[in-house]
Amino acid sequence: MTTATKDTPMVELKGVKKRFGDLEVLKGIDLKVERGKIISIIGPSGSGKSTLLRSINYLEVIDEGSILLDGVQVNRPDLKGLAFERHINHIRQNMGMVFQHFNLFPHLSTLDNVTLAPRKLKGMSAGSARELGMELLERVGLADKASVYPSSLSGGQKQRVAIARALAMRPKVMLFDEATSALDPELVEEVNLVMKRLAEEHMTMLIVTHEMAFARDVSDWAMFMDDGVVVEQSTPDRLFTNPDQERTRNFLRKHLESQAVAHAHF
Amino acid sequence: MEFDFSPVITYFPTLIKGIGATLLIGVVVALLSILGGQIVAVISLYTRKAVNWPLRFLIWLFMTTPLLLQLYFLYFGLGQWVLIPAIAVGVLGLGFHYMAYNADIFIATIKSVSNGQYEASRSLGFGHLATIFYIILPQAFYRAIPQLGNNMIIMVKDISVLSAIGIAELVYLSQYAISVTFRPFEFYITIAAIYYLINILMETGQSWVERRAAARK
Repeated sequence: MTTATKDTPMVELKGVKKRFGDLEVLKGIDLKVERGKIISIIGPSGSGKSTLLRSINYLEVIDEGSILLDGVQVNRPDLKGLAFERHINHIRQNMGMVFQHFNLFPHLSTLDNVTLAPRKLKGMSAGSARELGMELLERVGLADKASVYPSSLSGGQKQRVAIARALAMRPKVMLFDEATSALDPELVEEVNLVMKRLAEEHMTMLIVTHEMAFARDVSDWAMFMDDGVVVEQSTPDRLFTNPDQERTRNFLRKHLESQAVAHAHF
Repeated sequence: MEFDFSPVITYFPTLIKGIGATLLIGVVVALLSILGGQIVAVISLYTRKAVNWPLRFLIWLFMTTPLLLQLYFLYFGLGQWVLIPAIAVGVLGLGFHYMAYNADIFIATIKSVSNGQYEASRSLGFGHLATIFYIILPQAFYRAIPQLGNNMIIMVKDISVLSAIGIAELVYLSQYAISVTFRPFEFYITIAAIYYLINILMETGQSWVERRAAARK
């Protein structure tokens, strides 16, 4: 096992390949995310960007390559059965994952959604977990909703609770899988705001998004993916205003056009 | 036609004992069949065929044969070799019978919990079993409440079948009272009214629980 230093990338992917049947959705991805940096991944639907993020969390099992979190290998073909289960559970406790459809636990109150993992996985006492939970709900502006169930929250509120839930395990990196795609337009901003605040606190973040303005605003580095490969990556300013590749330009142009049409309909 | 309910009043303490026995058996069978139903459902869904197929066969057996036959088999059939106390046969027989029906419900409600719930729990670091225990089963339970309630209401009525193997529940004790007083009509009407009341109370309880569970779905 590698010993992590401050120069060790927080997340590193080497030649990651993933197939669904005959379809290769990731065709050898290399990626380094330095600690405290924010990487945005953009690209059309089906480009493999969500699969990439899910692979880092091992929700998708990769076919080739390796994934490292803070110098520790995530995929371990040498470990089988319970040994791998223990390994991956431990790895996942250091990653916070935020899903497009929130996936809050509907049978638990907002506070319990946030505190369940630290209580059960870290053995935190009910009192300390409650304190932590309230602090996190405060951070996402939902302390007053601590005792309600997710069914009575709006989409934006649900996603903010989901972020608080992921933060409760004190993760080293946060993975956002189209966190605002399922939200009504007027609810996007409140979630973006929470993510911006996290960025200001230098949380390492990987963001798969369709929100180009947000990606440009918040990221240190931006990647454009298409057809299972990273077509282009650079600083967000460059990628969004003056991309090198024709495919990136086409994608951004189409995206701008569709936004213009959407605005015209308003 | 003359009605005389005074023997019913005289034997009411006996009927009360029968109500007590029926309710006690009902509670034990409900706990056994709900808890067992969840275990059977989890084993059926999450284990290898070698384990879950025999179990599914047993469920199928309990669901396709009459309760009375199952009780006779357990009490008199197995009684050829081993004498199991009637109350144990009654509680276990009824328990297994409804465990099969409840397992069927849980299998459906567990399947109805979205994969996103499983993934969210695993992404936090919960293992497979912990995810089933903390995330999937509670949600499956809340979703099962309406059908579980209906099953339990039918189960309470089926406790009367236990009189066939001599368990002193409500119907059995009323038979005894009738054999002494010769007033079957009055007793049966009274017993029916008691069952009706138990039913109403259970339905009220069920809708109260359903209302409480609604927010958690």
